[in-house]
Amino acid sequence: MISFIIRKFLLLIPLLLVISFLIFLGMELMPGDAVDFMIPPDALATISQAELDLLRSELGLDAPFLVRYGTWLVNLVQGDFGYSLQSGVAVSSLLANTLPATLELSLAALVLSTLFGSILGVVSALYKGRLSDNVLTVMGMIGVAIPQFLFGLIMIVVFVFKLGWFPVGGRLTVGNEAFLQRLDHLILPSVVLALSMTAGVMRYCRSSMLDSLNKEFIKTARSKGLPPWRVNLVHGLRVAMTPVAVLIGFRLPMLIGGSVVIEQVFQWPGVGQMFVSAVRSQNTPIVMMVAFFSVLIVLIASILVDIATALLDPRVKLS
Amino acid sequence: MARDALNRKMDRLLLLEEQGRLSGNTTNRTLRKIAANPLAIIGLVLFLILLLACMAAPLISTYGPNAIDLRNRLSPPSRAHLLGTDQIGRDIFSRILYGGRISIFVGLGSALGAALIGVSLGTYAGYRRGALDALVMKVSEIMMSFPQIILVSILVTIVGQSLWNLLLIFILTGWPSMYRMARSQMLSIREMEYIQALQAFGIGSFTISFKHMLVNAVGPIFVNITLSTAMFILQEAALSFLGLGVPLEQATWGNILNVAQDLNILRGAWWVWLPVGLVITLFVMAINFIGDGLRDAADPTQVG
Amino acid sequence: MQHEPILTVDDLCVNFYTNQRCNKALRNVSFSLSKGRTLCLVGESGCGKSVTANAIMQLLPSLSRIEQGTITYHAQEGAVHIERLSRNAREMRRLRGEDIAMIFQDPMTALNPVFSVGFQIDEMILNHTNLSKKKARERSVELLKQMGVPLPEQRAGEYPHQYSGGMRQRAMIAMAMACDPKILIADEPTTALDVTIQAQIFALMHALKEQKETSILLITHDMGVVCEMADDVAVMYMGNIVERGSVVQVMGCPAHPYTRALLASIPVLGKGKEQSLEPIRGTTPDPFDRPKGCQFAPRCDFATQECHKAMPDEQIIDQDGHMVRCFNYKELMNERQA
Repeated sequence: MISFIIRKFLLLIPLLLVISFLIFLGMELMPGDAVDFMIPPDALATISQAELDLLRSELGLDAPFLVRYGTWLVNLVQGDFGYSLQSGVAVSSLLANTLPATLELSLAALVLSTLFGSILGVVSALYKGRLSDNVLTVMGMIGVAIPQFLFGLIMIVVFVFKLGWFPVGGRLTVGNEAFLQRLDHLILPSVVLALSMTAGVMRYCRSSMLDSLNKEFIKTARSKGLPPWRVNLVHGLRVAMTPVAVLIGFRLPMLIGGSVVIEQVFQWPGVGQMFVSAVRSQNTPIVMMVAFFSVLIVLIASILVDIATALLDPRVKLS
Repeated sequence: MARDALNRKMDRLLLLEEQGRLSGNTTNRTLRKIAANPLAIIGLVLFLILLLACMAAPLISTYGPNAIDLRNRLSPPSRAHLLGTDQIGRDIFSRILYGGRISIFVGLGSALGAALIGVSLGTYAGYRRGALDALVMKVSEIMMSFPQIILVSILVTIVGQSLWNLLLIFILTGWPSMYRMARSQMLSIREMEYIQALQAFGIGSFTISFKHMLVNAVGPIFVNITLSTAMFILQEAALSFLGLGVPLEQATWGNILNVAQDLNILRGAWWVWLPVGLVITLFVMAINFIGDGLRDAADPTQVG
Repeated sequence: MQHEPILTVDDLCVNFYTNQRCNKALRNVSFSLSKGRTLCLVGESGCGKSVTANAIMQLLPSLSRIEQGTITYHAQEGAVHIERLSRNAREMRRLRGEDIAMIFQDPMTALNPVFSVGFQIDEMILNHTNLSKKKARERSVELLKQMGVPLPEQRAGEYPHQYSGGMRQRAMIAMAMACDPKILIADEPTTALDVTIQAQIFALMHALKEQKETSILLITHDMGVVCEMADDVAVMYMGNIVERGSVVQVMGCPAHPYTRALLASIPVLGKGKEQSLEPIRGTTPDPFDRPKGCQFAPRCDFATQECHKAMPDEQIIDQDGHMVRCFNYKELMNERQA
């Protein structure tokens, strides 16, 4: 198992190299570079092209493509992610500031959606065709169809404006930084972010559970005289879980993408919000670093899914 | 309790069977299948209504989508303006209709474009295997590990914001999953014996993969196209909401929602954003119903 | 010569209600399983053999039910009317595994792939007895050993996909026999196995019958299996038992045209390539479009007018309980003599 994990991570490296190359390529293609941002617009009129070129060569911006890529890569590995074109602050520290907020939101949403999605999916399968199943199915269909940000807006109008249960946005209220108060801010955005993932997990879990309950070994379990709960939950659910774990792993990119939008709706000070404003202002280093790390997270998540599958299903060969 | 209801149903079936009422012809079965899936019918009807309404926008709405009327800013729904006006006096109802054209166009167009590329690649590469397949597979893996919104945002910044650019970008980011789906279909079909027979007859790979194998995978491909359309519409909405999608001058469903970022409008002028949101939700739901219906119809193991 | 019955099925009718249609899968099925004897239920695919087994275990799918008839288990404490028991109630669940156990055709799909074999046998034991987990595992290992699985301690911790086909079936039998049931229902237990393994499994089942006095209801489509394993035979066609009796009676002196046709269509090893094989003409009818009268009539060489009008009743044709459902059995038996 250990060698399995190590091998998976080692295979990641060539992939990451290719991706880093693409990221760097993207940086080159995006309009503007450091020099353009350093000079205020009115000074641009007075500075000559020669001076601009001198500035560029001082910053190493006129070296050949591959050399610049190499330098960038070396810096990357050492933890130097470049600097914001607007504020000059190191991207690494910007990330360090915003990452905890996004992690908090994403993990909350992940836990909520996995828990609720699985439970509701199992309930839906066990009571197939009955009222609860139909209600849940309809709710699931709405959950998958409604744009996440719209749901967020509706939730804000209902729970913040009309009912006043939760604060308007942001992550913290100054002075009230204990965990329970933070919960106040966290609930609405994480529920909204969890919504479409929950609906997806619920539908998938339902069909996976129904598939599992149709298998021969369920009949064998019944023929042993086992009580229904054991047949359904120990035999049925256990086998149904593996595909659901894979689904959750696959849906992780959507969770990351969703947090970009949700953070904007709720003014949540996370990486997503930083990304959106960086895109709007063409702040390339931030945009690209966020992209790079989001890919990294997705790739690591897929390795975790592989590990989970190997743990859940003894038929998976570890070779 | 549920057992009693089931027993009654069975009694009724028994009676009907014994009276010979049930042994109809095969058309019965297809009709029964369709009747058993009322959601798909509802979805189709809803989809057609919305589509036709948007296409007939000039006939239905009395205002242009960009007609500014500064004297009637943010006015609630009334006889003059069915769904009220926005912050610069444009009629919301017209904007939804005209915006729908663009949004639906982007959604359907991207899905079809992505399908064209993805399915062609998946069909041929999935059948032939080898270096081409491995290469495209790796490319698709890399592309799919980027969260879509992030990838699309980057590409939009590089090539600039416009309707056609967005369409192209969606197709570019959308083909990998169509490719994967088509490929996995091909992988299972190619194991079937009739493919080996065709190979033994010396028929070329191109003909085998496109003419003989693809026709069997058509069901899931259509299902995927409908579901992709839904996904692209939602993506366009999210991007335009953020201001990164279609430029704000052109009305799209997502664009109209962009203004909802303003808390005052959110709180005080529900007609500006809620109806559009509902229209998007209904349209996507309709497409999902159709997709589910197609999936059930293509599935031969469906039991009544 | 009457044998003591341990399970009596009388006039059993089962209907299936799938696809908004009603399929009368079992029609007036009656037979008796005797103590310490093997009854083979033989017939083509789709004739209702498995449905019978499922009905006895109350494991029918949800869209089906027992319409009429009785299934009586003659326990030591008294008769138990299985058809009256509710499917998942405690009493039926106790019967399953403790009194009546079942093994299935394909042990690869019949065993849960994510649990070890030992776990699945332990489960059976723990469900019906008060043994501790440790003792249950000891018993499981013992059972695996009895059924001929080598290295049982190690094997108990392994998963079904790590076993070979024959070993998997042995493990299934070990699981079924864990609580010493009086009745073992075997639904085509060797169809998925090689012929050599088949022989081993049957030898094992035979030994169980001898040592533990287990009554076996063996479901098969293979006449060779019948000749080898059966003490009694019941021949099924389209949901009806068309002939029933001891193996000597039915195989040696078949009274029903279908039985005769089945026997005539089997190649016999050693008879050479000149032996005449006569396939049964026609095909089994669509269950939703059944012929009126005797279900076999369209394919029968002995069919007469009245065969197309009504299904024949059960007729006992000698004092030993040889039963046949045919209007023209006398003709058939005369032809044999001739």
